[in-house]
Amino acid sequence: MKKLIALGITLFVAFQSISVSAQDLNEIVKNHIAAIGGADNWSKLKSMTSEMTMKAQGAEIKVVVNLIPKKAMRADIEVMGMNGYQIMTDKEGWSFMPFAGQTKAEPSTPDDVKAAQDNLDIVDQLITYKDYGKKIDYLGKDDVEGTECHKIALTNKEGEVTTFFIDPSTYYVIKEVSKKKANGKEFEMTKTYGNYKKLEEGIVFPMLSGGDQGEMEITKVTINKPIDEAMFQPKSLSELKK
Amino acid sequence: MRKILFMAFFLCVSATAIAQNSVSSSLFSVMEARSMGPGTMSGRVSAITGVNNDNGKTMYLGTAGGGVWKSTNAGTSYKSVFDKYCQSIGAIAIDQKNPTTLYVGTGESNMRNSVSIGNGMYKSTDGGDNWKKIGLDSTEHISKIIVHPSNSDIIYVSVPGPLWSDSEHRGLYKSEDGGTTWKKILYKDAKTGCADLLMDPNNANILFASMWQFRRQPFSFNSGGEGSGLFKSIDGGATWKEISNGLPTKPFGRIAMTLAPSNPKKMIAIVENKTTGLYISEDGGDTWKSQSATMNVCARPFYFSTIVVDPKDEKRVYRPAFEFAYSDDGGYSFSNASSDGGWVHSDMHALWINPINTNLMYLGTDGGVYMSIDRGVTWMFQQSLPVGQFYHVAFDNKDPYNVYGGLQDNGSWMAPSSSPGGVGNANWSRIFGGDGFWTVPDVDGKTAYAEYQGGNMVRVELATLKGESIQPKKTLKEEKLRWNWNTSIVTGKKNPKNLYVGAQYVYKSTDQGRNWARISPDLTTNDKKKQEQEDSGGLSADNTSAENHCTVFTIAESPLDENLVWAGTDDGNLQYTLDGGKKWTNVSMNVPKCGIASQAWVSSIQPSQFDKNTLYVTFENHMYGDHKTYLGKSTDLGKTWIRLDSKEFNSFAHKIAEDPENKNLLFLGTEMGLFCTLDGGANWFRMKNNIPEYAMVRDIQIHPKTHDLIIATHGRGIYILDDIRPIRNMNQETIGKDVYIFPTPDILLNNGRFGWGGPEVSGGWGAGNAPIKPSIQYYLKDRVTSGKATIDILDDKGNLIQSMPATIRKGINKVDWNLRGTPPRVAAGSTKMDGAGFTAPMVLPGNYTIKLKIKDKEYLSTVRCIHDNDNKDLSVTDRKLVYDKAMALQVMYTRLANTIDTIASLQAKLKADTVAFKKSKSSKVIYDDLEKVRAELMATKQTSMFADEEKIREKISELYSTFCSMEAKPNSTQLQAIESLEAELKTQEVNLDKVRKKYPGSTVY
Repeated sequence: MKKLIALGITLFVAFQSISVSAQDLNEIVKNHIAAIGGADNWSKLKSMTSEMTMKAQGAEIKVVVNLIPKKAMRADIEVMGMNGYQIMTDKEGWSFMPFAGQTKAEPSTPDDVKAAQDNLDIVDQLITYKDYGKKIDYLGKDDVEGTECHKIALTNKEGEVTTFFIDPSTYYVIKEVSKKKANGKEFEMTKTYGNYKKLEEGIVFPMLSGGDQGEMEITKVTINKPIDEAMFQPKSLSELKK
Repeated sequence: MRKILFMAFFLCVSATAIAQNSVSSSLFSVMEARSMGPGTMSGRVSAITGVNNDNGKTMYLGTAGGGVWKSTNAGTSYKSVFDKYCQSIGAIAIDQKNPTTLYVGTGESNMRNSVSIGNGMYKSTDGGDNWKKIGLDSTEHISKIIVHPSNSDIIYVSVPGPLWSDSEHRGLYKSEDGGTTWKKILYKDAKTGCADLLMDPNNANILFASMWQFRRQPFSFNSGGEGSGLFKSIDGGATWKEISNGLPTKPFGRIAMTLAPSNPKKMIAIVENKTTGLYISEDGGDTWKSQSATMNVCARPFYFSTIVVDPKDEKRVYRPAFEFAYSDDGGYSFSNASSDGGWVHSDMHALWINPINTNLMYLGTDGGVYMSIDRGVTWMFQQSLPVGQFYHVAFDNKDPYNVYGGLQDNGSWMAPSSSPGGVGNANWSRIFGGDGFWTVPDVDGKTAYAEYQGGNMVRVELATLKGESIQPKKTLKEEKLRWNWNTSIVTGKKNPKNLYVGAQYVYKSTDQGRNWARISPDLTTNDKKKQEQEDSGGLSADNTSAENHCTVFTIAESPLDENLVWAGTDDGNLQYTLDGGKKWTNVSMNVPKCGIASQAWVSSIQPSQFDKNTLYVTFENHMYGDHKTYLGKSTDLGKTWIRLDSKEFNSFAHKIAEDPENKNLLFLGTEMGLFCTLDGGANWFRMKNNIPEYAMVRDIQIHPKTHDLIIATHGRGIYILDDIRPIRNMNQETIGKDVYIFPTPDILLNNGRFGWGGPEVSGGWGAGNAPIKPSIQYYLKDRVTSGKATIDILDDKGNLIQSMPATIRKGINKVDWNLRGTPPRVAAGSTKMDGAGFTAPMVLPGNYTIKLKIKDKEYLSTVRCIHDNDNKDLSVTDRKLVYDKAMALQVMYTRLANTIDTIASLQAKLKADTVAFKKSKSSKVIYDDLEKVRAELMATKQTSMFADEEKIREKISELYSTFCSMEAKPNSTQLQAIESLEAELKTQEVNLDKVRKKYPGSTVY
């Protein structure tokens, strides 16, 4: 009997993969949300601290990101014995990158702050898109690094589009391309994801993220640990605001 | 038993089918071809438009063979946005009410002999990121699209239609539902299409359409006929009235027309006629007056069909044609653009004027895009658009090798495949002018052969670019020689000193074209009815050799026997000689039996490199309206044929290439894409690999030394797919494995052959270089979505040399190891970034283990690193010395980091007891003494990247980095510097001890 059920499942999966082009967009999103742990588990997320490393030919860059959803994010970066940071809140942003020659925290432009707001809500955008008045469209299938993926466009109120590429075998997002306008120019940002891992809190999280600058491996994730909000102000802020 | 056998057979067939079907381009998607460009010479631009309310920043360009390009910065840079679709673009229109909605009509309508074909209309609603095909699939050529200014659902499309055949798909089309459905609203007959379309900006119901009767045959062109005429509608295209008052007597040819947006009653038309003229209407087209015009304004009306009035100034009229002309009096007189700043490419087809700032305009020519900021008086060339239209490509055997090729209206060029700093525009050299076709290097390494249209060929001395004409001439008794537009010039595959060219005869030279022997009779059909080119053109005579016919188009010497030579003609003959030309055998009558059209143009011949009797031939018949892909294979010198076909093919074939090492690996270039088979032609897949999926692939070469696939496209320049061995070596056994590491070739230990000359300036086109060393390549049956993937490199004793992230894509993966170990740790606390943590010494020659870890499984392979004997500056002994010294410096650097960490730890302890630190004088003194030592060890005061501070760490770092990148024996001062730094470090270590001893009772120790 078990074998018959297994065979049934196999045939069902095979059928699904054949008829996937006709699959309803909502069904794909539903499957995706289930694959990443369900909306309920994500809604319980109040803060997140992630420790990451970027490796390039043996060299290593360390990053620690503290995030309070929809409120503020701080990334502390250690490169070759130097430390810098980037802060982004729902209203302002600063960056201090001494390795790039900065000697004090410098403010982000209003456009940069606006463009970064999507990243402040760590909850998967395909869970929250309706809350923000965004819409989604199914764009068919497209190849991502050898994998034929569902392609879903998410459009915000300003018409800016983020495209998600979902692996139909796992329903994980393996690539994301967002297009925004800031500081008088259009720019495109591409991220890839891998090593999805289920955390104790029930959410499934990509522990590997690639982008234009390289690939980040998340080595540790801490959920809902209290975060001192003072860290979201740069040390030299008072001086900065003179 | 039969049933069992049948079942076994069925299972085998099924298994084979599944296995074969699993081979696709995505398997090899990590192998991305380099777009060599260049941008320094570009290709034909057929359409330009922009978003009106965006200050002209967002623009779209349509090209003859390179798809659609978008700029969001007024042309500073362009991005290709149409790579998955037909590359021949006829028209682009933006819905200015919703400017992210745009329409593209495929199939350019500049109806020259080499024009490509389209496959219908496309629509994007997101600024070109995604496209949907919306019909008119069989129109082949589209000249203009107009979107209703206030009703986005209404779209008009003018369709000249097929160039080479009758068609009912011509005419003017209208959609009232945003392109979902189409209705033909103006149609004359199967020979007459709609060439141009205008809409009155003040009244969108008023339309003007010019109808054009035209036809090409392989051997002639005719523009003009009773179908041509000018029509007006005042009810949105529901009814039409022909306009003739003041126009000349019919027949007409092509009519180009425009109206003044600021005064739509003012119209101008260039009407092709027995005497082509310019006509002006002041009453919305009801009456016309003839106006004298310059030769440039009226020249070649079938090819130059653009005339534009300034959006704000009805007096300012522009005529891009053979040259760029402008008028300041409403079209009554014209001046030509200035040549200040340099030559502007002739043959102009598209013009977009920024409607906000009408001084700013963009011009599309046969050689790319130009920008003017002074109303077209002077022009600047934009060098970042790699849309050159190559006909052929060749390579030499230098290291790095050079590529050679000729382009439509852009001469003959060459460039190195790799170059210091990466191949850029500056690396390309023009070696001959005119329209370029075959450009072939001689085996002597100093000479190349090039030509311009009609077989005008030269031997070029590459050092000086001096050219000597070598075109064979007819004898008294011979007929006039017939040279194809694209005359074949090839060197022998078996004996590269043999040089062949083809008129209706084949000529051979063994002394670089100084002397020729005619080695064949007339190999063509010699059909006199196809040799009346002097009458070609129709109403306007046009005989530029483009219609020359009954010529030898392709010649191929067998790679196995120089006496076996094949020749194919444009009128379908396929002949060979086994004795160097004494006797020829025509096998063309054998070909149609396999399903290939009779007497179709022989576009390429590939004699097999494995068997003398085997050959592959592409035929193409599009000039008779037949777009099928014809690829034939014979294994008996052409007596019998099989047709190699695939449902993946969708256009006519230009080139077949056989891999020199794997006889089952073939590449096919077609008008719409590049295809590959791994099983001798049974199954094919479309190659993507960073190449436009519908690229017009005219030629394919495979370099025998570098294993590179070199591709000539007619609209996207040259591509090089570096090292195709992963494709060559892929087999069903590998595909069946979960993970497989391909053998890594021996790696030469060096930093690559080139230095870096600094960043390339903006505005050009960069192709990069071939990889400097082999990658670690492995196959994954499935993408790794969960679990880690890493690669460890171990030495022969099992010590970990370096650990790297592994890529996780389905199919072939490539990871580059930099041949170095793990960089040292960098001490924290400096005000200056230090680069030592990014580098490590290059490993020594030896065998290394590659350990690929996927989730919890490990896969092992090996790689051998070998000393580079070509580097005479570095012996094996020197290499060992350099390595040892670099490692000594790394140890020193780590020692310094440990010392700094010790100091930081002590200082932290002192500060940790805040109360004691504030009260205790000795704690502060200890802290400050420690800080003095720290400040000698590393930069602690530097506050700006422009004020360099150098302490011991920075000195060690600089010397360490020097040794890490060293590829010569170190000089004496470099070796002495190590000792000096050792002494300096030792001094500070002693100083730290002194501080410790100075305050023996401190609690922090």
